[in-house]
Amino acid sequence: MPDHTPPPPPSEPVRAGLTVALGLYLVGLLLCVAGNSASGGSALVRTIHGKLFAPWMTLPWLDLGYDTRLTHAVAEDGDHWFEIRRLDAPASQTVVLPGPTIRGERAARWRRLARATALGEADPDREALLPAAVGAGAFGPWNTHDLSLAVMRHLPPDRGDVRAGNAAVAGRDDEAYAARVRLVDGEVQLIERTPPAELAPLVREPGP
Amino acid sequence: MTTMNVTTTTTMTTMNVTTATAAPTPSGRAAPPPEDAIGDMWMRFWFTPAGPWPLALVRILGGLVALALWASYAWDLETWFGPQGMISPALLAAWRSPWAASLFDGVTSPTALWLGYTAGGLVLLALTIGLATPLTTPLGALAFTTLLHRGPMLAGPADDVTAVILWCLAIGRAGDGLSVDRLIGAWRGRAESGATLRTRIALGLLRVHASVIAAAAALAQLRGDVWWNGTAAWWLTARVESRLVDLTGPFLASEYLMNLVTHALVGFEILFAAGLWFSTARRVVAPLGIVAWPLVGAVAGEPLWGLALAVLAVGCLPSERRGVYGPFWCSSPRT
Repeated sequence: MPDHTPPPPPSEPVRAGLTVALGLYLVGLLLCVAGNSASGGSALVRTIHGKLFAPWMTLPWLDLGYDTRLTHAVAEDGDHWFEIRRLDAPASQTVVLPGPTIRGERAARWRRLARATALGEADPDREALLPAAVGAGAFGPWNTHDLSLAVMRHLPPDRGDVRAGNAAVAGRDDEAYAARVRLVDGEVQLIERTPPAELAPLVREPGP
Repeated sequence: MTTMNVTTTTTMTTMNVTTATAAPTPSGRAAPPPEDAIGDMWMRFWFTPAGPWPLALVRILGGLVALALWASYAWDLETWFGPQGMISPALLAAWRSPWAASLFDGVTSPTALWLGYTAGGLVLLALTIGLATPLTTPLGALAFTTLLHRGPMLAGPADDVTAVILWCLAIGRAGDGLSVDRLIGAWRGRAESGATLRTRIALGLLRVHASVIAAAAALAQLRGDVWWNGTAAWWLTARVESRLVDLTGPFLASEYLMNLVTHALVGFEILFAAGLWFSTARRVVAPLGIVAWPLVGAVAGEPLWGLALAVLAVGCLPSERRGVYGPFWCSSPRT
């Protein structure tokens, strides 16, 4: 038989303790949302959140902004993926990750890793860390010590351009990051490949 | 009544008396002062014991989502976290917060990695079916979050929501209904447990997070022009790789349809975030959330995020609606 007896109400000290704990957590939750926003929190919020709440809310994976913007129609919102090619075996094929056979959440995780690799380059504290790590991690499975690592991204077309016939509905692909990663004397070397568009054009002075 | 009588004597007295006594309610009883009303609301929200089955339902559905997310690591576990994996401990030391740590950090062999991963999966499976739930709910939350910390750059919005659900399950008595534990208890002749404070707090936290997550998503979206000019739905569905449904054809044909879907996505999120706090509105938005969040996830190319939010919406269902289904789930008292 189910026990339908209402439980005794919690005592005053228990209620007071729980109220303090819940209030503290709710303040922490709001500060985490405000402090982890993509817009960046204020110095005050960052300081309070960083010193008082991040130390104990990070470990349970609760120090989050939950700011799932889905899209702002910028390049970094496009799908990202890796293209890895062995450089010591020119005939080898380029491996795409996630490939067409990888689907669902598994594919989404590869896309997040590729996106973080490309976006990490804009962060001075994280620059080159992830490309070197991903490249080095690929040495074993691809049985090589010299490879080309590229992060590609898909740029969806503007609806107006598609309607006007100026763009294909499939959009176009763009190279977000590229580097050569190799192992020399046990040390991982990363040689970034600058996109041609970012190289200064050679301008010849007009002759007399 | 007192106020009206005094009014016939002097106006000044009326003002004094009116401010000194609370306004009468339609039932004739004096309403509590505002600070008491807020205190009462707080007490009712957090400290009215709740029956076991709503959290039990959240446990089953949330456990299934957690298992799906957990399984998504299986194929690439060694490629990412193995001894020669892409996400090395050295990279993590430089990448993640100094407060973060993972039980997988110390794993140095593929065998140990697979043992830890399999054990975590079994714990989540036990949590889902409700086996040894006082142990498996906190262990499941710990296992899940420790795997996320092993590769934070792989985690997505579905992981964030699922972590919240798992911790709430650990706080409440999630195994008191619809569980193997309950079956074992019934076999041993143990009485079903009734409403508990822990379950109420867990359900309260689920509702708070459901509202905050929906509000944060809506605010983040509204920082972008495409959510105001009505084209965001196009940019979502034009992502060839991650989209679940291709709506480019209908959106090319009708701009109004594209605008409608865009505004409906944000409008629903705002409605959900706010509606959970009004009892009448909650009767509509919580069931609506169970249907709408998976659709939002499908359009956004984040299906498990949508499903995880639908699980949060299950935890927000008003008690009387749950009561309709109560007898089918278990015979615990309706709360």
